[in-house]
Amino acid sequence: MTKREKIFCPVCQVNFLLKESKEVGKKIVCPVCGAVLVMKQEGDQWRLNRPTDMSLEEEIRQRMDNFAHLRGYHFNEMKEALVDGLLKKYQRFGDFYCPCRIDNVPENVCPCIYTRQGDVEKNGRCHCGLFWK
Amino acid sequence: MKKIMLYALSTCPFCSMAKKYFNNHQIAFDSVDVDLLKEDEKEKTINEVQKISGRRAFPVIVIDDEVIVGYDELQIKEALEK
Repeated sequence: MTKREKIFCPVCQVNFLLKESKEVGKKIVCPVCGAVLVMKQEGDQWRLNRPTDMSLEEEIRQRMDNFAHLRGYHFNEMKEALVDGLLKKYQRFGDFYCPCRIDNVPENVCPCIYTRQGDVEKNGRCHCGLFWK
Repeated sequence: MKKIMLYALSTCPFCSMAKKYFNNHQIAFDSVDVDLLKEDEKEKTINEVQKISGRRAFPVIVIDDEVIVGYDELQIKEALEK
């Protein structure tokens, strides 16, 4: 049996169990935040990086679609305005920080920590209205 | 007439919906896009918002003395009718 090991997601900053086989350049989806990540080998260390072969818009759309799919959430007509807000945040502050939070810190990278920790279950939606139960 | 203050972010759709709500109902209100303020003014306003709402998330709507955190039409209506 292959020993499963944990690997670090640079988007949600969580170590998760790697189920896939290791292969340089292989794309996988973080099971915690839905980010699309690319495998990279550095010496005997394996790392995951954000993809460089897709636009920022494609990256965040895939991430939010994957996260919604993983959790069984859906979107509504607010989605496009929020994609726009996330892209503006990226242009101004260098990452996909929540468009409705003032602090541009790792915890607020979409899907933010509050959303990953169950805000949608509690309130029926995430704070900014991107993910709905 | 009630005094209304809307603290918003330019990137936040619920903040735009709150502005639209007051405009559509022809209700006079003051608003500020906190993220577009100059650095020192921004810090001051964020501290104000945190003091009022206990959070650093938007929108925050103050209707007279009532504080509404997030966009909730029902809560806005109730505060306006008081």
